[in-house]
Amino acid sequence: MNNLVLGKYIPLDSIMHRLDPRAKLVALILMIVAIFVPKSWYVFLVIGIILVVEILLAKLNFKYVLSSVKPMMFMMVFLLIINVLTLKTGDLLVKLGPVEIYADALFNTLFVVTRLLLMIMVTTTLTATTKPLDLTLGIEHLLKPLQVIKFPTHEIAMMISIALRFIPTIIEETMRIMDAQKSRGVDFENGKLSEKIGAILSLIIPLFSVAFERAYELADAMEARGYVPGAERTRYHVLKFEVRDYIYLFLNIVVMGLSIASRFVL
Amino acid sequence: MSFIEVKNVSFSYSETNNAIDDVSFNIEKGTYTTIIGHNGSGKSTIAKLIAGLLTPKAGEIFIEGVKVCEENMPTIRKKLGIVFQNPDNQFIGSTVKDDIAFGLENRRVEPSKMDDIILEYASKVGLTGLLDKEPQNMSGGQKQRVAIAGVLAMQPNVIIFDEATSMLDPKARKEIKTFMYDLSKNPDFTIVSITHDIEEVLQSEECIVLNNGKLFMQDKPENVFKHPEELRKINLDIPFIELVKEAFAKKKIKVNADNIEGVVKQLCQYRSKN
Repeated sequence: MNNLVLGKYIPLDSIMHRLDPRAKLVALILMIVAIFVPKSWYVFLVIGIILVVEILLAKLNFKYVLSSVKPMMFMMVFLLIINVLTLKTGDLLVKLGPVEIYADALFNTLFVVTRLLLMIMVTTTLTATTKPLDLTLGIEHLLKPLQVIKFPTHEIAMMISIALRFIPTIIEETMRIMDAQKSRGVDFENGKLSEKIGAILSLIIPLFSVAFERAYELADAMEARGYVPGAERTRYHVLKFEVRDYIYLFLNIVVMGLSIASRFVL
Repeated sequence: MSFIEVKNVSFSYSETNNAIDDVSFNIEKGTYTTIIGHNGSGKSTIAKLIAGLLTPKAGEIFIEGVKVCEENMPTIRKKLGIVFQNPDNQFIGSTVKDDIAFGLENRRVEPSKMDDIILEYASKVGLTGLLDKEPQNMSGGQKQRVAIAGVLAMQPNVIIFDEATSMLDPKARKEIKTFMYDLSKNPDFTIVSITHDIEEVLQSEECIVLNNGKLFMQDKPENVFKHPEELRKINLDIPFIELVKEAFAKKKIKVNADNIEGVVKQLCQYRSKN
């Protein structure tokens, strides 16, 4: 499961790691706006440079951040080909027999692809520098205003953090069941579609049954330790906004402002 | 008044037969009690009933005079902690310290005080260096110690161990058993341990035997094992030392010591006499 880059936390000690998760989450939203609004290569270049600076500050490996794009690569190439072949506006750039490539099609698609690439890399930088639990805590705090309409922010955060906690356990369980079924002659790799579905079922059914059992036991354990859904509780992790968080947010607001302004100026 | 009083308790998962059938017993303050019985005898069910995780169909349970029921749950939770069988399924936090903090959060302890409490109880179970470890990188025995630290941090008077050692390797099992024994020497703790481990029964002070949801016996462990035939009838194991005594009794050699050293001594004396 080590090739699953998107969303994996890289434990390092850097200024990006120490930023408040709330600041980083809001900054992510600002950056996504900044990435989606402009229609100029200069702005993308500036955002790209900012991203490089952030990655350097986070002490992350460039190769690692780039590899997060891999799962989307196929989709982007597909998008590029379809758009270039179907859109027929703007100047004609190349004519190769029946294939005509127009300027608008090419540049518009390149814009879309660039935006996607930047967005994935910005998100990867966030998840690589923020513990899943801190992210959950940040989301919980940001959703707090919704408590006015009785939205159970705390319970949702608890569900997400338990889900995150159990991902490795469930993966381990999956491997174990697969091995057990393989030893009984189930073939997960070869065979006709119908055989493959049968093989997958032999994995999914025990996995679900075990997961439910776990859920019951976990509920008992939580109850026994005094957890009451909806009841007030204190939190071990206290989030604290510091000067660096304000500065970081301010810089991100500036970037977004400039990016929106570029739409009208450039 | 006994510390834990179970009075005519019945419980059933289905309509047809009772998992617990009219069971009554008392557990005294500061004692170490083991509850044994073969699979399906109702021993885990009785633990859940005492902990208030299940509600009896009939009968009542009292802990220090407080009835175990929905409205008294906050009081009961303060008195009672429970360590479950599966080390993974009771690890709620994403790291050791988060997991110990979980109970404290529910107790509404000030966040600034939590670190000291976590450190104190982590060191009690020998986890000081592992506070930032994640459950997937820990052994079963370590995870079970986290569960114990999490329960101890809530400062309960009674701790129920629901087959807490049955999923561990022999070394970890021994560690946890020794820990339970040491804990039982503290008169502030009443320990109730549901177990399959006959050797553990021998280290306890009181033993309750359940069979088919009914109370079969309650006595000191050494007295319980004086009836090997009856225990065999309900599919229970006999400790090694009792098997030795039994085997010699068949040869008309009387051995009555309670530990291995005593048995060896008696046998040596027997040999020198003949």
